[in-house]
Amino acid sequence: MSKIRRVEVLKHILESNEQIAASLKALWSKNQTFVVNLLSSPGSGKTTLLEATLPHLKDRYRVAVLEGDLETERDAERIHALGIETVQITTGGTCHLEAHMVKQGWEVLNDKDRMDFLFVENVGNLVCPASFDLGEHLRVVLLSVPEGDDKPAKYPVAFRSAQALVITKIDLLPYFDFDLDRVKEEALAIQPNLQIFEVSAKTGEGIRDWVAYLEAVRARLFDRPSP
Amino acid sequence: MHELSIMQALFEQLQGIAREYGARRVLKFRVEVGPLSNVVPELLYDAFMAFRAAEPLLEKAEMDLIRVPLRLRCADCGEVTEPQGFRMVCGSCGSKRVEVVQGEDLLLRDVELEIPEEALNEQNSES
Repeated sequence: MSKIRRVEVLKHILESNEQIAASLKALWSKNQTFVVNLLSSPGSGKTTLLEATLPHLKDRYRVAVLEGDLETERDAERIHALGIETVQITTGGTCHLEAHMVKQGWEVLNDKDRMDFLFVENVGNLVCPASFDLGEHLRVVLLSVPEGDDKPAKYPVAFRSAQALVITKIDLLPYFDFDLDRVKEEALAIQPNLQIFEVSAKTGEGIRDWVAYLEAVRARLFDRPSP
Repeated sequence: MHELSIMQALFEQLQGIAREYGARRVLKFRVEVGPLSNVVPELLYDAFMAFRAAEPLLEKAEMDLIRVPLRLRCADCGEVTEPQGFRMVCGSCGSKRVEVVQGEDLLLRDVELEIPEEALNEQNSES
């Protein structure tokens, strides 16, 4: 004999990920480690943006990178070549990073409790990573000029969940029908608070503004002037 | 696609609830999916079928997906409206000062459990 019982739940399905993310964020905030989660399609230039960004930070701050990849360690090797501590998180086919993976990766860092900046390069994918909070302070979505200007409307969740949008490869604007104004307008319609940057890692255009923004958000968050 | 990861998290929640009530099986559960919950319902359903085939707890289970629309509450006029696409603009007064009140979440709403008599007696004697 058995009985049937109905139970009200009303819980977020990804609650366990959110709990790990919240504990990571608390720890990072206490350590004043500013954590940035980079999200984009494959090939938008996440690693290249890091290669252009890190040299501006590494002499003044303690910086580390967690590299999420499906299989290879190529991106980690590129960052490592800059003399920056990098931990590879190979997801083994999973299309996104989850908070527990980031926690494991972070624990391997030599100076994990004394970092000023920690960049997390998510798996190249504009859909799935958007669902998983990693405990980051800042979520940045990248969109490259060759991808086309209709991405915000097609992938609203990624743009909605981010605080900053970096439009990359703007040196290619003359060769593509990419309407910058349209992208900005559509992205802001989805997320009105989005900070938008236009950069070219190749020419260096826009990189300084982007770096200054990272420093400013970090300083504001931890309530002390940047060194 | 991350629907398998979501199904894994959902399964762990269902396991926890079944354990708590001493249930043998999950008979039915309802999941609320909004347009900004980042889930393709068909893919979540496929992931559910894969779990159902492998997990005795779910062998009789049905999953109901409740699709809810995106709804915005306006800070200026107070109206709750459903936007066109994903443009976060009040449908009543056009203000951009809106808050999403529905459609961003992925929620487990409720569960129907099959609880053996022994477990029910235990629960009664405890209470």
